[in-house]
Amino acid sequence: MKMPQGRARIHLTVLITAIAAAAWIGGNVFALTDTNRPPTAPSAASQEINSKSGEKVFMENCARCHKPPMVISPRTTGTVVMHMRVRAKLSRQDEQALLRYLAP
Amino acid sequence: MKIWLFAVCLLFSTMQLSGQDSDVGSTHAGYLPVLSGGAGYIYNVNGGTPTLSPAINPVLLLPLGSHVLLESRAEFVGEFQRRNGNGDYTGQIFPYVDYAQVDWLANTHAIVVAGKYLTPFGLYDERLQPIWIATFQAPPLTYGIGTRTSGAGVGGELRGVIAQTENYSVQYAAYYSAHSNVEDLDAARTTGFDASIYFPAYRVEVGTSYQRFLDPRQINNEAEYISWQPPQIPLDVKAEADQSYWGHGYWIQAGYMLSQVPVANSFFKRMQLAGRMEQSFPDHGGGNGVPTLATQRPGVALNYYIKDDLRIVSSYERQFTSAKDVNIWNVGFTYRFVWPLWPERK
Repeated sequence: MKMPQGRARIHLTVLITAIAAAAWIGGNVFALTDTNRPPTAPSAASQEINSKSGEKVFMENCARCHKPPMVISPRTTGTVVMHMRVRAKLSRQDEQALLRYLAP
Repeated sequence: MKIWLFAVCLLFSTMQLSGQDSDVGSTHAGYLPVLSGGAGYIYNVNGGTPTLSPAINPVLLLPLGSHVLLESRAEFVGEFQRRNGNGDYTGQIFPYVDYAQVDWLANTHAIVVAGKYLTPFGLYDERLQPIWIATFQAPPLTYGIGTRTSGAGVGGELRGVIAQTENYSVQYAAYYSAHSNVEDLDAARTTGFDASIYFPAYRVEVGTSYQRFLDPRQINNEAEYISWQPPQIPLDVKAEADQSYWGHGYWIQAGYMLSQVPVANSFFKRMQLAGRMEQSFPDHGGGNGVPTLATQRPGVALNYYIKDDLRIVSSYERQFTSAKDVNIWNVGFTYRFVWPLWPERK
């Protein structure tokens, strides 16, 4: 059963607005949280993960599905790596290693 | 109009937040909004019927700080066929929203996703579908298993990595989708999970997906898959087996970059030779995303990377069914783009 066109558009607008509002609030809250949070000592496990080179993370994860790009502009690296973290289910440590490798 | 106004506001807010990269201060990574995606033009001949298929799949990435990402992929795919079999090409462009989701990168183990998201089932829907990634342009015969009704869910998803060491990493995704008839947000009521383990030393990933389809009629869908890129040779092997109430099948695909050819290496290193074998068998009459006849489809593909982001694609497949055997040809090109949407802040 299809919804009437006008009603569907209203639903779409409301849904997108709600998602954006949640994203806006979430972005602000967690950006602030990170700024205010005192640095904590990394665990042994995270130190082990941190030692993994960004190049290794890049070759192990990006190349699993597609030919890795030769160049990514540093201006967009953070955004692209965020997207890839979601798509490839990367850990925070892998994301950091990739950022250090792609935009040192 | 309202949506455009909203989009412009969102772009401004993204620019505002792009400077809040407090935890990546040691890098020069920028968080500008990005327009990415792929485009292509495929000439397809299926059983003697030619079809022209131009396609653009823009992906919009709007980061809000370094923990929240708003992302969406649309598709504009054309289908043009000859009028009355030998006249002019005529057809139309089909616009569609593949996904529109907000991602909250909560911590190292969890990413919370809300909105319309690609169904994390098997290898194809989430990873191999983009036109610039796909080795074969046609989706596998069993693609409909676990991805009904739209290849996406509307609701929430939790995904990430459970455990990670030097020797392995375990990844997961779990989701719930509501039933939706809203235009461009259509989805079936489903719930399910995907889990995989990856061994980096061998470049092997083994995974499984389970889905409970909750719209009538309620059924289970399952998939098992493997992905292998041996470190010594430029080979990419992927395989998946799918089971559903309506049918079952498998596909196995291997792609080899000819970079080890000793002659004319600068030419051959950009060339990929691939093969795929797939079979699908209907159960309980098939349909609902599964072919209604037992189908076998072996094929080969030859793709050439002119540049890293631009390639010529070609493939030949032979499809066997009890009703008719047909040849399927595809020739065309694909292009990948990544463009910043805003000038960098000083």
